[in-house]
Amino acid sequence: MSHSEHPDTIYRTSPRRLGKLLAIILGVMVAGGIIFFTHYDFWNSYLPTAGKLQEQQMEQAASQAAGGPSSTQGTFSGKETHVALKFVESPDFKNYGFNAPVGSSGANPEIHANVGDKIDFDVTNGGKSFHAFAVTASTSGPGPAIDGTTIGTADSPMKPGESGSVSFIPASAGEYYYICAVPGHRELGMEGKIEVSGPGGAHPAAVNMAGTGGTVAPNGNKIAFTLSFVISPDFSKYGFNAPIGSPGANPDIKVHSGDTVTIHLSNPSKSFHAFGVVTDPANPSSIVWDSAFKTADSPMKPGESGDVTFVAGTPGLYHYICTVPGHADLGMNGNFIVEK
Amino acid sequence: MGHDTAEWVFVGVVIAVLLYVGVDSWVVQKEVEDIPADAETVQVTGQQWFWSFQHADGTKEVSTLHLKVGHAYKFEITSRDVMHSFNIPDWVVFEDAVPGHINHAWFAPDTVGTYPIQCREYCGLLHYNMRGSLVVEADTKS
Amino acid sequence: MVLELQKPRPVWQIMFSTHHTDVALLYTVTGLSFLFMAGVLAMIIRTHLFFPGQGVLISDSATFNRIFTVHGLTMLFLFALPVANGIGNYLVPIMVRYKDMAYPKLNAVAFWMNPVGGALLWLGFADVSWVSYAPYSIIRAPGPAADMFIFGMKILGISSILSSINFIVTIIKCKHPDLSLRRVPLFAWSMLTVSLMTIIAMPTYAAALIMMLTDRLGVSGFFNPFAGGDPIAYLHLFWFTFHPEVYIFLLPAIGMMYEIIPRFSRKPLFSQASGVFAFVMLGIIGFASWGHHMYSTGMDFTTKTVFMIGTLAAVPASGMHVFNFLATMWGGRIRFAAPMKFAVGGIALFFSAGAGGVLNSAMPLDFISHGTYWVVGHMHLFLTGTIAFGFVAMIYYIFPFITGRMYSEKWANVHFIAMLWGTVQVFFTQHLLGLEGMPRRIYDYPADFTSWTQLNQIATVGAWILGAGFVVFLAQLIYYSAKGKPANMEDPFGLGGKYYYPVEAKNPHHHTGY
Repeated sequence: MSHSEHPDTIYRTSPRRLGKLLAIILGVMVAGGIIFFTHYDFWNSYLPTAGKLQEQQMEQAASQAAGGPSSTQGTFSGKETHVALKFVESPDFKNYGFNAPVGSSGANPEIHANVGDKIDFDVTNGGKSFHAFAVTASTSGPGPAIDGTTIGTADSPMKPGESGSVSFIPASAGEYYYICAVPGHRELGMEGKIEVSGPGGAHPAAVNMAGTGGTVAPNGNKIAFTLSFVISPDFSKYGFNAPIGSPGANPDIKVHSGDTVTIHLSNPSKSFHAFGVVTDPANPSSIVWDSAFKTADSPMKPGESGDVTFVAGTPGLYHYICTVPGHADLGMNGNFIVEK
Repeated sequence: MGHDTAEWVFVGVVIAVLLYVGVDSWVVQKEVEDIPADAETVQVTGQQWFWSFQHADGTKEVSTLHLKVGHAYKFEITSRDVMHSFNIPDWVVFEDAVPGHINHAWFAPDTVGTYPIQCREYCGLLHYNMRGSLVVEADTKS
Repeated sequence: MVLELQKPRPVWQIMFSTHHTDVALLYTVTGLSFLFMAGVLAMIIRTHLFFPGQGVLISDSATFNRIFTVHGLTMLFLFALPVANGIGNYLVPIMVRYKDMAYPKLNAVAFWMNPVGGALLWLGFADVSWVSYAPYSIIRAPGPAADMFIFGMKILGISSILSSINFIVTIIKCKHPDLSLRRVPLFAWSMLTVSLMTIIAMPTYAAALIMMLTDRLGVSGFFNPFAGGDPIAYLHLFWFTFHPEVYIFLLPAIGMMYEIIPRFSRKPLFSQASGVFAFVMLGIIGFASWGHHMYSTGMDFTTKTVFMIGTLAAVPASGMHVFNFLATMWGGRIRFAAPMKFAVGGIALFFSAGAGGVLNSAMPLDFISHGTYWVVGHMHLFLTGTIAFGFVAMIYYIFPFITGRMYSEKWANVHFIAMLWGTVQVFFTQHLLGLEGMPRRIYDYPADFTSWTQLNQIATVGAWILGAGFVVFLAQLIYYSAKGKPANMEDPFGLGGKYYYPVEAKNPHHHTGY
């Protein structure tokens, strides 16, 4: 490391040069800072492709496990109700809940509605942690959410103090749940039930025991119903009397055990159908009491009509469906309730 | 005795200490990894951001795990999404939860009480809150 | 700042020069700028962890995760490596008696990749943590930050490899014909070892980065378990590079201490041969121990044992360095100027860091310490305690040679006390925190863990003291480089003899190198 032997000592540094150096360094830092902060929300904004693929995989697995519930909303045809919900946690963070930690009074209020009603949820995060809101038909896990019912997601959740609103119009009767979609929070208590009954008022849970299909002797009563097979113009929704989700679709049929029931059937639709009362709507061959009219192999043609008469058997909840495979899932499935 | 000897002595002492550490570690680790045959299996699944457990008889628990004192338990640890680490610090139970792998750890608690469970591998947003509880209870039936 | 030339040159001429002294200055100044930027992040983290509870200083955990990621990346790749490269660039050609580095233009190109890589890392501000383990970095880390991280690290890795090539060729091929390799000064030996290690280790990480990128894009499944891959494969590739890499961070600082301690003890180096041997041995054995970062991933017993042996085998080499320093100081007429203080402080902290590391290497004890603040304390004792101390010592040492002025010894004392006290207070306390079970990389801790709160508060106060020391350092560098007293260029430190290049050995049986 030699040193200069020049007679006039030239100082290697001076305040001016140092000032220039610092100006360059600080200028670069300020410029970088401006670029960073003006686009603050951009830098960490989207999930990588691999992440999106994995999320899809998880959702498919979850919906398969839950049996493929309807993930779309119905059409609004009933009344509108407002529900205010708040995410809360217990002080020791061991119990979570809506409005109160699970186990305390007022926690996770149960909601009752009919198909076609609109439930407006106003949700606030009153807790200290992050949460996300969703309505789902699955009985466990954080999803899948029904389209249009989510506020925030597990990866982009609602921060404490944030709030939002969504509406939910159930498309079919059954049990739905409003949950926190952050994994684990549902299990810790953030789950509330939404009971949805079909139009016409009969609470399906009132007769929640599935019928066994046993036969009884006729009691002399005769009762008749008229049903027509209907398909929506875009072929996406099927139903009895109206496509599922529309008013008047799949009316509940209530009879007494031992009644002689006559069903007047007509097929104004463009497709082939067949009728039967079954114990399990997912199984078109579980027909009871000789209630079948035509079969999948020999169905009713468009424009055809006909009658079937049978004696309603042991009390319970049955289903009347179109027994052509797949049509019950597309919406041709109504409650056939046999009371004592 | 030149000063090079001092260096050999120093290095010799260091190597002796390290040999002791190495041999003792080998012995202790062999004992630690020797899972008793009667250990009851508990499946541990980590996911963002909580722990869930399944006992040998099928009961499931989320975040809080109830075990009996005086029994040996073997954990089968895996993850559903990213890497986590299952840790019960008071009982030195520690093994990574890796998706696609099942890792094993075991312990036999001999004192009743409630002990914290935590995650010890960075796993994202709520890694700091990925906590649970281990409740060791008295064995009511023999 | 003009080096070695008669007339002051315009700043832009220095910036785009390829002369080794100018590139050295650029490396060192940008390295120190990044040191202070990352230091601010560290102060934010420690202050936030003073109290349990969310929102103490940092509003949410996403921001916290990003801050500690960028803190780690900056300190390691934008401060430690560049400053070592900078000092190396300045001294190595002089030490091998050559006019410049072997490839001056490549040298400048390698430097300029640093600000570019740094800009990518800082603008993206990813939250992957500096180790960016799969699968989090593949299926969860949001873009574009994580992709910018990958590109930034790629550029920095290539820069590392290019400058390593430069050092190897300079030292081996361009050294003066009368100078045998055995007698090349130990700092140059440390740069040679480090450069050889880099070109073997770094390409593995470069490959892992490309694989991570294609995995993120969904076109491959190397580390993504949902696409058929294995996250542990990433850990192997990562640690195969980064265990040797921690020795790459460390060795230049030890080499710098070899420059300072014999001089300021006014005594020849105890043994050049054992210094060379220790460097080379560490360079080779350093490749045999990467699995000790992965003891808990489900390795079988034999594999763990092999890695433990590899880890322990590298410790005697470090011990040889410590012995070399102590034996050199023994019986010398020590001049405790600032460089010597920092060098000796660095050795003491190096020893304690290594001692703590032996606990980590023991398989069963690692299960207590892995992933807790013990590791944070251990690694910072190496990084701050040895590497930063060594660099600071070296910067104080060459300060008069570069600027022609002398720093203030009084303020250097203040800096030394603050830095030593602060380092001990933060990082020794973090060892205790780790034993209490506090995990790393956590935004918040439960308030009912009172021991955690107390230890965190002690550590934070220590961090403030350390930070104050660095502020004094920065002020020193700026003020005294412009307004310091002119230094006696023959003997700035008053050692009273010809203790600068070249040094004559009193005892002809001891080779001191140059």
